Amino acid sequence: MSDDDRLLADLGAAVRRAQEVPPEFLATARASYAWRTVDADLAALTYDSAAQPATTRAPAAGPRALTFASADLVVELEVGPDGCQGQLVPPGPGRIEVHTAGGEVSVVEVDDVGYFAIRPVPAGWFRLRCRPAGGGTEVVTSWVVG
Amino acid sequence: MRDDPTVIALVQRANDGDAAAWDELVERYAPLVWSICRRYRLDRPDADDVGQGVWLRLVEQLPLLRDPAALPGWLATTTARECLRVRRTGQRRQVHEKPLDETVASGQSPVLEQELLAAERDAALRTAFAALPEQCRRLLSLLIADPPVPYADISASLGMAVGSIGPSRARCLDALRRSPQLSALSDRGGVR
Repeated sequence: MSDDDRLLADLGAAVRRAQEVPPEFLATARASYAWRTVDADLAALTYDSAAQPATTRAPAAGPRALTFASADLVVELEVGPDGCQGQLVPPGPGRIEVHTAGGEVSVVEVDDVGYFAIRPVPAGWFRLRCRPAGGGTEVVTSWVVG
Repeated sequence: MRDDPTVIALVQRANDGDAAAWDELVERYAPLVWSICRRYRLDRPDADDVGQGVWLRLVEQLPLLRDPAALPGWLATTTARECLRVRRTGQRRQVHEKPLDETVASGQSPVLEQELLAAERDAALRTAFAALPEQCRRLLSLLIADPPVPYADISASLGMAVGSIGPSRARCLDALRRSPQLSALSDRGGVR
């Protein structure tokens, strides 16, 4: 095989590998950009009990525990079979919008000690947008899947 | 490719709100995300789930990517980790789950590294190809068609004498090889 033959074969393979990607897979990727957030702080996922190595896997019966943290707020979230419950730290009242990647939004109240519950578990990828009662910077969590 | 200025510029533009730059990143790297999902033998719904999560994460990470040139590696590692999660905790878990190489998730896996190199080389080839003159793109498209197109048909569809297909092919491939994208790769022995 000459260098030209090889280069042509490589080009063919590169083009075909791009063509193998299903159009909807591409469409979802492009559409994700609509979720770009510029008006809130990100609370990044800092702990996920389901992402621990297999050897230290949590007992199957326990709820999955997630922690998100921004500079000013920590969001603890437990995902159980019937719903999620969570805690804001520092504790305080407010509202949380639950956004799914599918575009649905629901609102839950956060009580005076920072507790909230979401029922049922949102379908697919979701994130929480936390609005403290006293105003201040809003915080969005990383995307997670229930 | 890891320090490809194009990728750095695309990441910066996407972070500044340029949706076209985002689309270009997707065009470039969706095949990488897809091929890793295939490596993990995910079914279509699981692959869609992983893909969605990877791109959502990337959107949120854009302002935080300290080293935009490391994007392909970040995508590969994030995709592998999501594939593992889906396989490990997915409700659609198979009874006869095949054992998986956990080192893949760490990004140290030779398999992942191989996918990454192939994806970067593919992306460079496609970008270089797209920048060729139209005549070359048309000719090379016919020459890489599967099943192969006979020279007589190529001649007819391009209005080119059969005898000049060979020399044109050589000229176009030479232009492809000399493109900045591929020269950058071949400097590191990435392309022949």
